[in-house]
Amino acid sequence: MFEYLAIVFSGPALLTIAIGTVAGVAIGGMPGLTATMAVGLLVPFTYTMDPTMGLMLLGGIYCGAMYGGSIPAILLNTPGTPAAVATAIEGYPMSKKGKAGLALKVSVIASFTGGMFSIMILLLFAPVLARQALAFGPAETFLLALMGLAGIISIADENSSLLKALIAGLLGMIIAVVGTDDMSGSQRYTMGLVELVDGIDFMPALIGLFSMIQMLELAGMQHHTVDTSALHKKQKSEPMPKGIGKHIALGSGTGTVIGILPGEGATIAAFISYNLSKRISKTKELFGKGNPEGIAAAESGNNGCVGGSLVPTLTLGIPGNSVAAALMGAFIIHGMIPGPDLFTEYANRTYPFIISMFVANGVFLIVGLSFAPYLARIALIPPALMVPVVSAFAVLGSYALNNSVFDVYLMIAFALGGLVIKKLGYSLEALILGLILGPIAEGGFTQGMIIGHGSPMIFFHSNIAKVMWVIILALLIPPLYSYYKMVRGGKPQAE
Amino acid sequence: MTRKTVDRAVLVLLIVMAVLLYFSTAYYKGIAIKTSAKYVQFLAVFIGGLSVVQLGHSLLKDRSHDRLVLTGHLPRFLGLLVALIIFALVFEPLGFFIPAAIFIPVMSYMLGYRNLLTIGLTTVGVLGFVYLVFIQLLSVNLPGINF
Repeated sequence: MFEYLAIVFSGPALLTIAIGTVAGVAIGGMPGLTATMAVGLLVPFTYTMDPTMGLMLLGGIYCGAMYGGSIPAILLNTPGTPAAVATAIEGYPMSKKGKAGLALKVSVIASFTGGMFSIMILLLFAPVLARQALAFGPAETFLLALMGLAGIISIADENSSLLKALIAGLLGMIIAVVGTDDMSGSQRYTMGLVELVDGIDFMPALIGLFSMIQMLELAGMQHHTVDTSALHKKQKSEPMPKGIGKHIALGSGTGTVIGILPGEGATIAAFISYNLSKRISKTKELFGKGNPEGIAAAESGNNGCVGGSLVPTLTLGIPGNSVAAALMGAFIIHGMIPGPDLFTEYANRTYPFIISMFVANGVFLIVGLSFAPYLARIALIPPALMVPVVSAFAVLGSYALNNSVFDVYLMIAFALGGLVIKKLGYSLEALILGLILGPIAEGGFTQGMIIGHGSPMIFFHSNIAKVMWVIILALLIPPLYSYYKMVRGGKPQAE
Repeated sequence: MTRKTVDRAVLVLLIVMAVLLYFSTAYYKGIAIKTSAKYVQFLAVFIGGLSVVQLGHSLLKDRSHDRLVLTGHLPRFLGLLVALIIFALVFEPLGFFIPAAIFIPVMSYMLGYRNLLTIGLTTVGVLGFVYLVFIQLLSVNLPGINF
């Protein structure tokens, strides 16, 4: 362990983590820019970096961006990321009362605690879970991908229906079929294009679906003026409110657990933590009017997602959320396939990466306590300046991974197509998860069928497989039952 | 066009794609017939089936007439899209720096920003950042003319 600590606490590594974290806080603070966009955009550029440094940079961005979204949410009522919406509900009323300093303090301490707790869970449990993955054969690998698909169902929210989330996931898996068939070596659906022989890389898709779409939406948005009065109010230093610890603990635990579930994201974690906090609060009546307990729960919840989401990503290769999917891309392009190998063969990269996220939390704690009100001004950068800059980086990022202009066209196509299906209520997260899970599922399915001499019973044979079926059914039945009740009840379904 | 019309058109396309995908597996050769073909058929059946159910649900229950609005400002949206395609087209012959030096200020102006000094400084700043970090530090290979 000391050698891993030595890697993290070397000068270049600390500088990399600090740059990544501060950049993450700044990106998270810009409305319209998310952690997924930032990590997705930067993954191709880490290709030429030392893998450990590249991963530390991205880990810093992830941690920083999760916290950064809360600053403009509190001071300007403009959440930097969707996960900070719940923070704005309590934070902005506090700012209007002249308590922005306290709100920012609660936010950064809760974010720090949630992040540290979830990374501790990642450090303790991921290697154990990864060792279990050694017992997995092709059939279990296929079932893992199905578990990921079952997780897609839980992505379905008020904006995307259950069936549409599944359809989007399957569409992603079908897109992943394009290219050379690993079993036979023959080409499928390449339409004679040399660029498609290796298949559709998910990085241009990720940049298109999560970065470029946001830029297209921002370009077509009517901009509104932001109330900046809270930025100019004098803030006095106030101690942390009594009893806030239990709300931070609740949010940290809830966020971590939700993060571990495939498909669940920081926004859901923040809202569930916020609602749970409201239920146990002794000052329920203050919720919505500026209650620091709500900020504590929401922020520890969304930051708790960071470590949680990386547990299934690093151990099983199933991303906990879209940022984790982008991070998984970074591991893959450096030749590190998620699973037990990360904790054995590549331990000298994986452990420093995990430890670096503790440091990243420390960095944003210092930044947040010292500079938060100044960082809120980032949110005032006009979209008219931000959109062309991010778009140029999207073009550069799509090109850089494979040195292919074709990938730039793919990125634009995914952005445009993705925008249409997003407006129709399909889940983009499900699409990208399908694209990532596709090759994993196909590999497991085809090898399993060969081992089972063409019989699908191979997928029910082992005890692990049986347990996994139980988990899949447990994941599927409640949302399907709710959906059935909703359709039967004639309640209008979101589309 | 209404949202439900576009949605139904997308679902019909998905159903057609599922059928074509299923039958395309008949052309698989060798071991792929027993392995990959089954997987592709599995995907085709599921996406086709789910699309049929969703389409049926839409036909029976969806009575909405709201329009599909992709953007609140079509000229800016299309402007960005066209500019991106032009950027990609000239990326290989001209490299990153020359197209970006035109793309960033033109797009900023088109999107409504009028402070030319800030636009100029931002453009120079971004290009300088890309040169220092990506070319000098990370050694990213960019096509066309580099400096």
